[in-house]
Amino acid sequence: MDRNILFFKTGVSMYDAIVIGSGVSGASVARELSRYKLKIAVLEKGDDVCSGTSKGNSAVVHSGYDARYGTNKAHYNVIGNAMYDNLCHELSVPFVRNGTITYALSEEEVEKLQELTENAKKNKVPGVKLLNRKELEEVGGDFGAEVCGGLWAPTGGVVCPYNLVIAMCENAAENGVEFFLNTEVNHIEKEAIGYSIKTNRGEFISKIVFNCAGTHADEMNNFVSSEKLKIIPRKGNYLILDRKLSGKVKNTIFQAPKKLPGGGHTKGMVMVPTVDGTIILGCDSTDVDDKDDVSTTREGIEAVYQYFSENWKNFPVSREIPEFPKKMIISSYAGLRAHSVTDDFIIGEVKDAEGFFNMAGIESPGLTAAPAIAAELVSEVSKKYIFEINPAFNPLRKIPKQFRDMNDEERIKALERDKNYGKIICRCEEVTKAEILQAINSIIPAKSVNAIKMRTRAGMGRCQGGYCGPEIVSIISEETGIPITEITLSGEDSFIVPYETCIPGEI
Amino acid sequence: MIMTDVDIAIVGGGCAGMSAALSAYGHGIRNIVIFERNSYLGGVLKQCIHNGFGIHKFREDLTGTQYAAKLIDDIVKTDICIKTDTIVLNITEEKEIVAVSSKEGITGYRAKSIILAMGCRERSRGELMIPGSRPAGVLTAGVAQRYMNIEGYLVGKKVFILGSGDIGLIMARQFVLEGAEVVAIAEVMPYSGGLARNIVQCAEDFGIPIYYNTTVTGIVGKKRVEGVFISDVDENRKPVLSTERFVDCDTLMLSVGLIPENEIAFKAGIKLSEKTGGPIVDDMLQTDIDGIFSCGNCLHVHDLVDFVSIESEVAGKNSAMYILDKIKKDKKPLVIETNDGEGVSGTVPHRIDLNKGEEEVTLMFRPNSKFRSCTATARINDRIISSKKMPVAVPGEMCELKINKNDFGPFEKNDKLTVEIIP
Repeated sequence: MDRNILFFKTGVSMYDAIVIGSGVSGASVARELSRYKLKIAVLEKGDDVCSGTSKGNSAVVHSGYDARYGTNKAHYNVIGNAMYDNLCHELSVPFVRNGTITYALSEEEVEKLQELTENAKKNKVPGVKLLNRKELEEVGGDFGAEVCGGLWAPTGGVVCPYNLVIAMCENAAENGVEFFLNTEVNHIEKEAIGYSIKTNRGEFISKIVFNCAGTHADEMNNFVSSEKLKIIPRKGNYLILDRKLSGKVKNTIFQAPKKLPGGGHTKGMVMVPTVDGTIILGCDSTDVDDKDDVSTTREGIEAVYQYFSENWKNFPVSREIPEFPKKMIISSYAGLRAHSVTDDFIIGEVKDAEGFFNMAGIESPGLTAAPAIAAELVSEVSKKYIFEINPAFNPLRKIPKQFRDMNDEERIKALERDKNYGKIICRCEEVTKAEILQAINSIIPAKSVNAIKMRTRAGMGRCQGGYCGPEIVSIISEETGIPITEITLSGEDSFIVPYETCIPGEI
Repeated sequence: MIMTDVDIAIVGGGCAGMSAALSAYGHGIRNIVIFERNSYLGGVLKQCIHNGFGIHKFREDLTGTQYAAKLIDDIVKTDICIKTDTIVLNITEEKEIVAVSSKEGITGYRAKSIILAMGCRERSRGELMIPGSRPAGVLTAGVAQRYMNIEGYLVGKKVFILGSGDIGLIMARQFVLEGAEVVAIAEVMPYSGGLARNIVQCAEDFGIPIYYNTTVTGIVGKKRVEGVFISDVDENRKPVLSTERFVDCDTLMLSVGLIPENEIAFKAGIKLSEKTGGPIVDDMLQTDIDGIFSCGNCLHVHDLVDFVSIESEVAGKNSAMYILDKIKKDKKPLVIETNDGEGVSGTVPHRIDLNKGEEEVTLMFRPNSKFRSCTATARINDRIISSKKMPVAVPGEMCELKINKNDFGPFEKNDKLTVEIIP
């Protein structure tokens, strides 16, 4: 396969199937489609795959006790959760089933957890139990004095969402899927030969289209259907704590769900020990207008900060670290959830648009559910259109072990293979030049500083790129031939060092 | 893994590492190795092309690069072993070291003594939790300086600076000299944390305004910085959002503090101080692990490189004494801990052993706010052991107080030596 086609194209291209979006939905669909002998394209408006909703969330693989029985959310959450072990194994993505605890501070909250336990039973979530104070201690450690019980969900897990999505995209690409980055869909029209998708990089035509456009999925649907959708971007802010706290938090711990003023409820604040050793704290929930604006907000950051300052004492980690460790905050971020006004996933063929399949409103537990939705949806579509199996499909994505995960012996061997393993570029996360070169030369090449960060974790540590930033810029330039002044943080005109210093006499 | 035996292993080849090495060498130790992650010695000095270095140490006004060159010249005259492009992955309590480089791969060392001289890093935007978008064009002063002076690139042409410490001020001037506009410098405190000469020579002389009691409360720009929001702060340093206003710029440069770099010390289980961020040391600059010393900016952040040299020479000498077994091991330790009193933060050393080391101890500390005609004192309970009058004391400048060990007099087991600044 030509590795250089991924960024640019012009003119009209015909495909058997087109996927709009490369978040967890689009990536799952693309990978499922690559099981069949098809010419498949993924259109992504960002400069990298996984540059929208799937990039910024709580990283939790939900067990499924929370989603209301009878909804798509509940159904696919539970199936999706069960798929994760095998999926992550196939893709060489770290996944930990660390179990989820939702704790209660009052009898009222215990009652709410009782409701959730019953809901979990109906949803067929394995192993969910309502624990009293003593039982909770045995499972999850010493919670604060005010905690009177908790809901234990052993199948809850954690995954790095962008690691997973990038892995799925890479596996899809290895199986023949073409990815078009920086490709934004402006319009879709139904024509005799199929759907004509107009983008800033030319026209794509296909009889089969999967709408996995995240917060923009309503726009895509509304181009072709009279049954209009509405997606509301719902913002959440998060804080990240230093990897120095690695191992000090075992389970994912939620506060008891809170009722929202407008009806429904939010899962509330959560403490998540990530697979990479950092701890995520989040998040608030605010409906916003801008579908792409992932700026953190003062109110949101403060809400998270305040919650964990006041409630730190409730979490078992407070026994070892009594106060909320402010100095351990290394970064903050915000993510958007693609909330549908129908409050459920919208899945399947659009009634008045044959061959146009929606995967819309994929908000939490979307990360967990998406692989299940995609598997079922693509399977149905394959039957309808009688797809031919792709005998060459390889579900395995093999990647070399990361330097930071190697023992001394493995490191010595790696260095014998490639001396670039001896050049540590990111001190905080122990990322070597070898891994950065692998990212640049991977099947979906990482050519921006953020794309490299997402694939290697370089720059994600406590110094936030203070040491490795300039090193990475020069490695990208050396390897790709892009001048330093044109290297970007995240595509378009996000230039990092746009100018050269002045030559004497030039001012 | 084959372990190479060395006398002293020094982690970091900046000013601290080189000064410590030269001092240990001068005291008769020959088998010394310096590990440096960059391809050159000198550390951050190499990107400091401005002057103001060396006045105390060399009685000369040098640039950072000249200062480094002096040390490097001395180092190459010795047979101290230099391992550049080499990063130390781990050290252990037994003073074993694992390092890695492209050239030599994974290498192991067994040292009689280790000197930690890793320097410091900059506080990032993430730690400050400044709300807003995450575009290109937000970076720390050190990174901007490295791009400018080492790589030859300019990070932006319309720069807003947060933090009026020395690095912020110096970079403000340099941006102007490179043809960029510096819109203003915001300082959250009512005064600058920088040296007085830098406020004049770097900001005032170039007409760059410093907004005191002001901070950045938002970052705007989708792909590249398009501006920042700034706000006044109240007496608790909290932003007064009714005063929030927009400033047009393409770059936000942060100069908001330095943090001693101690990942290796942390991993080795060396006890660190909450206040300085560096290891807890005695007056020989020895950490709580016997034979492991710490000096320079990884011990505590200094104001002038000259003092880094002077301090590191002490660490180098004591490391040599440790190896030569000249530290009075026969005498029972007689330890008193130091304690930050009123007006003081981050006193180093944390422990003084009256039966070991030099007769004279130098206490180093920073004022926690601005003082005029004040007195720095060290006392045990109500008994003043040493004091010094100072016309002015500011957080940006390190204070020192010398005490002779003979002046301590008797003290109880739990007594502490309290250092304070009294107006």
